Amino acid sequence: MNSGADDDTVVLPVVRDGRQPQPHPRPRGRHAHRKPSRRAARSAAPALPGLRRPGEEDPEATDVITAVRAAPADPVRTALGVTGELLITMGVVVLLFVAYEVYVTDWLSAAKQDDATAALDRNWSDGEITAADPGNQRTEKFRPGDGEGFAKLYVPAFGSDFVFTVLEGTTDRILEIGPGHYKDTAFPGEPGNFSVAGHRVGKGAPFNDLDLLRSCDALVVETRESWVIYRVLPMPDEVAGWATGRGTDPRCAGVNPLGGRYAKVPGREIVLPSQSGVIAPVPGHPELSFDAVPPEEQAALITLTTCHPRFSAAKRMVLHGVFAKEYPKDPANPDARPPELAEG
Amino acid sequence: MYAWIWRNLPGPFATKLTVALLMVAAVLALLFFVVFPWAETRLPFNDVTAS
Repeated sequence: MNSGADDDTVVLPVVRDGRQPQPHPRPRGRHAHRKPSRRAARSAAPALPGLRRPGEEDPEATDVITAVRAAPADPVRTALGVTGELLITMGVVVLLFVAYEVYVTDWLSAAKQDDATAALDRNWSDGEITAADPGNQRTEKFRPGDGEGFAKLYVPAFGSDFVFTVLEGTTDRILEIGPGHYKDTAFPGEPGNFSVAGHRVGKGAPFNDLDLLRSCDALVVETRESWVIYRVLPMPDEVAGWATGRGTDPRCAGVNPLGGRYAKVPGREIVLPSQSGVIAPVPGHPELSFDAVPPEEQAALITLTTCHPRFSAAKRMVLHGVFAKEYPKDPANPDARPPELAEG
Repeated sequence: MYAWIWRNLPGPFATKLTVALLMVAAVLALLFFVVFPWAETRLPFNDVTAS
């Protein structure tokens, strides 16, 4: 049963250095007097009482093993062994589940997101709707069905390759394809609050890094007809010195802390899952009817929500941005890109 | 338990190994395509909406 080990001890010293093992090697090298090398120790071992070379069988131990093997299975021992194996198995399954959540769902979602993007591109290139049909503006131009992609979200601060097709609805099934648009909230560029939910861990994790966005970072939404540029609102601690501080950044041109009804809308906030007011047309004021707000005081906002902290559902991280610019797509130059996409 | 399964697999070593790997693959597929998708809907950390 130990033939392999026996071969090792016999053959290795000869083959490896071509010398016979010395029965009592003299210490060599500067560490030799402190710590004999393994082979030296092994060669010297037989000289020490009570020690054997690895692989050499102790006749008594062999007898014991044989005795244990021959004995009928001890039920307690068997039960403990099986219990141990089951516990280890459960631990492995939990680890596999973590791997599934963090990695495997990414792959599955990436395939679904690709399909959704391909469908959206087909839809856009079909040209069912002629560009800039005046009777088709604003209220009529977005009519996505549940789970249907209708826009693409770019966040240049996350890299030039960060783009996700946004789908209509926020059910689990839709969110595993990509960021989902809260139904009944505004559509891109419209007055109101274009609100989108996205996963932070796994499932493509589109909103993994929302905590890293700074005020004035661009959130670019591509629709069939236009490119809509939003910019993250000032963070609460930046509001006080905005005009002389962060607000002097060229990117912040036109981005100012909102006043009036919007005074309490920050760039980023952490809320409880029940605080659905963050996606209200006037965030924080779900009781307010948007129709009652004079049109000249209505703001066009974007709101992104995800879970917080990471791997938890205790709270929600919410990011608010304000409409900055809209570039209508030029049918003569369909590949034109807004300069904001190049912002790092 | 696993030793018992191994002992009860038929055939020579190569066959045993193949069957064992197939069994592992089957269990993994069951976990990844049936059990985990079912389990994650019951766990809260995928909630990203405010409502």
